[in-house]
Amino acid sequence: MTVDEEESADREIAAGNTSPAEADRFSGLTAVEPGYRHVLRARLAVFWVPASIIAIVLDQALLAGTPFHAVPSTLVPLLALVSIVVAPQRIYRRLGYALHANLLQVVRGWLVHVDTLVPFVRVQHIDVTRGPLDKAFGTATLVVHTAGTHNSIVTLPGLAPERASSIRDEIRRHIRTDFE
Amino acid sequence: MNDSATILGPPERLHPLSLLSSVAASAKGMWSMFAAGGYFAVKGYWLLLVLMFVAFTALSLGAAVLRWRNFTFQVGTREIRIDSGILSRTHRSIPFDRIQDVTIEQNPLWRLFDMARVRFETGGGSGGPQAGDDGALAAIPLPRAAEIRDLVRASRGLVPAAAAPEEAAVQEEAPVFAMDLRRVLLAGVFNFSLAVLGGLVGLSQTLGDAMGFDPFEDEFWEGLFAPGTPIGDFIRDNAAMTALGGALVLVLIGLGTGVLRTLLRDYGFRLTHAPTGLRRRRGLLTITDVVLPAKRTQAAVIATGPVRERFGWSELKLQSLAKEDGGKGDHVVAPLAQPEEVDTILLAIGWPLPHVPQWRRVSFAYVSAFTLLLMPLLAVSLVAIAFAPLQGGIAAAVLVAAIATRFLAWRRYAYAVDDSRLLVRSGWWRRRTRILPVRNIQSVDYMQIFVDRWFGTAGLAIGVAGGGLTGHGIRALPSETARQLRHRLLSRFA
Repeated sequence: MTVDEEESADREIAAGNTSPAEADRFSGLTAVEPGYRHVLRARLAVFWVPASIIAIVLDQALLAGTPFHAVPSTLVPLLALVSIVVAPQRIYRRLGYALHANLLQVVRGWLVHVDTLVPFVRVQHIDVTRGPLDKAFGTATLVVHTAGTHNSIVTLPGLAPERASSIRDEIRRHIRTDFE
Repeated sequence: MNDSATILGPPERLHPLSLLSSVAASAKGMWSMFAAGGYFAVKGYWLLLVLMFVAFTALSLGAAVLRWRNFTFQVGTREIRIDSGILSRTHRSIPFDRIQDVTIEQNPLWRLFDMARVRFETGGGSGGPQAGDDGALAAIPLPRAAEIRDLVRASRGLVPAAAAPEEAAVQEEAPVFAMDLRRVLLAGVFNFSLAVLGGLVGLSQTLGDAMGFDPFEDEFWEGLFAPGTPIGDFIRDNAAMTALGGALVLVLIGLGTGVLRTLLRDYGFRLTHAPTGLRRRRGLLTITDVVLPAKRTQAAVIATGPVRERFGWSELKLQSLAKEDGGKGDHVVAPLAQPEEVDTILLAIGWPLPHVPQWRRVSFAYVSAFTLLLMPLLAVSLVAIAFAPLQGGIAAAVLVAAIATRFLAWRRYAYAVDDSRLLVRSGWWRRRTRILPVRNIQSVDYMQIFVDRWFGTAGLAIGVAGGGLTGHGIRALPSETARQLRHRLLSRFA
């Protein structure tokens, strides 16, 4: 197939009722725990709340009397508010995973959309980690290590701890020697 | 945990003596504290010094005890489980099938107490450049360490401590590939490098003051070449000649560096068959001798450039799990070779290049999305021309050159999939043809940044084991093609 033929084939598919990419992206994907939004929110707050305070203090102390006075005092807290209130919901909505017969799929992101497929037989070892925030909101992160250079660590955050360990056990069942 | 696949042994702890090494390790990281201690001692604040010392010992010992109490490992029949962490708990399970090697290390202190540090190497990339710390037990009794190692080896079907049949009957056969002196010198010419100039700049900055003059300062040259001085007058009279001379000196330095470096590294380059793969010997002063097992080879890259390609030359590198030379995972198996020679080497490792691969081009979005991303920068530099013509002009020229190179690269960019391999041809200045057997794929990312979405394209990024050569993947595929190709690449796992 030449480039032109391929492109026209693409257009034909795209001319159908739904975009195939959009359909594929969310078909069969499982959302992570809703509690993950709170983990994200807390994590963003840890960064943005001190940042806002510093911005306000610096603004009042250094910029008083200049034309830029009050700009950081409004802009940074506004940015903080937007990212704490809006971003977690959006990140959560874009995050999904699927356990296929022999593959783990992790899909995330809109601005930078990454859809990762890892064959179970390629997994070297598996971690289930829980940080303090994870514990507070009842989530856990599954970390899958492959031997790859690019993308050798695939993380799937926001799982219920029992789900994380059951996925871990599922993947481990598939791991077998393959030294072809 | 409701699995029955594996029976885990009872949780075990590290030997309490491991506390010693962890306190020592935290003391090593506390040099600033020693500095403060020294300051207190000099000033005579003895009470503060004692307080600080006590506080530090208590804190680090407390942390070490906590860490020790929270670190347990369980040896199962098919895997080892390591639970660690105080606030963030990590439960790591390492299946025996994935352990490449078990290393038992003893430092002098451990030898005194008959203990050992056990390291499991799984080939996971998590350790960064020095991957290999995938799982480690800092201090356990030596007999237990040997027991675990034998258990792992037995479950892998390996004979414990089998002596490798080393160099049994080394007969000198005809090399797969060899370079005579002429070829090495030619390779050196293509390795033209001005890196030595950078080194000289650094040297003069450190030594400039000591020497009393700095050849990289404007004043040095202004004084030397000022009109009226003999050199200044000479330059004014022979401007074209001196410019030519300067360029010639640069070329000679670049050529000299390239030839010298290549000669030192590649003199007597010889690639021969070995029982497990290829054996490479090279070097003038330091002769290196490396065996590259064919089974551990993950990918091959044929690298060349516009000039080299004109004369049919290219370089062949293999990406391998074996990391003999300096931890780098890429091995040059032919610094400068003609296409037939490359074919011979690829045949020797069992990867013959398909004769007429059906190359397929990528979308023009490879150029247009890139251009779009650079537009804001280009606009800024065009505006900047009004204020600073020289700097703005240079910036704009660089950006335009980048876009032009991207276009030239797009004309070469193509991929081909045959029954078992993915071939990707890319680059205009740095021309690369990557050969990746599909069975060596570790993971595949489908990636799309916002600009790609406007053009309806996506890229595939492919994880391959072994370091050195990164960037396996294809950019700017129509998004549906990208999805189908990904399914095809992973079909052997599905």
